[in-house]
Amino acid sequence: YEHRFSPYDFNGGTTIAISGPDFAIVAADTRLSSGYEILSRDVSKLHEVTSKCVLGSAGCKTDVDQLRSVLDIKGKVYQHNHRKPMSTPSVAQMLSNTLYQRRMFPYYAFNVMGGVDEEGKGAVYSYDAVGSFERTPYSATGSGQAYMIPLLDNVIGHKNRLDEKKELGVEELVEIVKDGFVTAGERDIYTGDSVEIKVITKDGIQTQRFNLKAD
Amino acid sequence: MSILEYNGAAMIAMAGKNCVGIAADRRLGMQAQTVSTNFQKVFPMGDKLYVGLAGLASDVQTLHQLLEYRLSLYELNEERKMSPQVFSTLLSNVLYSKRFGPYFIEPIVAGLDKDNKPVLSGSDLIGASVSTDDFVVSGTCTGNLFGMCETLYKPDMDPDQLFETLAQALLASVDRDALSGWGGVVHIITPTGVMTKELKGRQD
Repeated sequence: YEHRFSPYDFNGGTTIAISGPDFAIVAADTRLSSGYEILSRDVSKLHEVTSKCVLGSAGCKTDVDQLRSVLDIKGKVYQHNHRKPMSTPSVAQMLSNTLYQRRMFPYYAFNVMGGVDEEGKGAVYSYDAVGSFERTPYSATGSGQAYMIPLLDNVIGHKNRLDEKKELGVEELVEIVKDGFVTAGERDIYTGDSVEIKVITKDGIQTQRFNLKAD
Repeated sequence: MSILEYNGAAMIAMAGKNCVGIAADRRLGMQAQTVSTNFQKVFPMGDKLYVGLAGLASDVQTLHQLLEYRLSLYELNEERKMSPQVFSTLLSNVLYSKRFGPYFIEPIVAGLDKDNKPVLSGSDLIGASVSTDDFVVSGTCTGNLFGMCETLYKPDMDPDQLFETLAQALLASVDRDALSGWGGVVHIITPTGVMTKELKGRQD
């Protein structure tokens, strides 16, 4: 029978965010796909909303792009009216409101937001496609989400472990992020090529890249 | 609603140095309702051969009985023990024989062959099997299980390391799946015997 036109396409990819005492890490792979085809090996899924806040989005690229534009515009209007950039918790709430406005024809975007809050502490927020959100210590979203989240529960959440919990520093957490992406890249066809990692502190955002298998 | 997801299951089999381990959860549910918290899904088929049956619970029990029957018949006729590779092929053939009305089971097989080398295999519900040298997974949270195993696995682990790896991989995976969990059981098969341990995890 006839295939109805779908306004959505799934362009794949995985995003992850982890918070620390005074930093946040947001990372995503750079592959753009459609069906079984790879459209590009180098497209960013991360967007710096403010100098203290990064949004990672996987899903339908066109909806992701439009969502970013809308957030940028709203952010500029806020800055114009309040004479200061939006704080991370405010951006988090704004994203939720923006997503819910499209409740009956949603943005097909799976979001994680990472940044530092007003007190300088790391903050991570996870969302669903229609704006339900929660502040969490860590989160992963996208096609490789299932491969990564139990690992984060075990290593960062220290769940089901009997040994003593030690506080993990930035470098150690970045290594865990890289391990997670290597794993997701192995088992998820939509994840691969390379990983873009952004570390956010009160002093700004540092970006690094890491190569994955291109198969 | 998928028939393979009606009862819930999670299982892993993994290879170490001259040893294999097989682990599974203990939950039996009927969709959202939990009915039993000590349901057996991993069965010994020989002193160095274990099979894990994930899927519809009725078929788990029926297939276990059928496999015991076929194994006994083989051993009586052939007057020798069945090797893990032969068992795996037998399982594949039994599943394919019901190609157009299948058993709703996705099994995994773990054993040591006559030279005490690890043998691992997994199959889909109609008998398409794969043989690996690292790990195989099955159940309602295979994404979670693959992610954990891929990250935690390293080759040539000794029995104690293998136990820890299996336990952590299983527990972390089932805690993100509503249909599996309520404890676990791990069997480590070595040339000298089988070590079995119960896991206590989140009881939800």
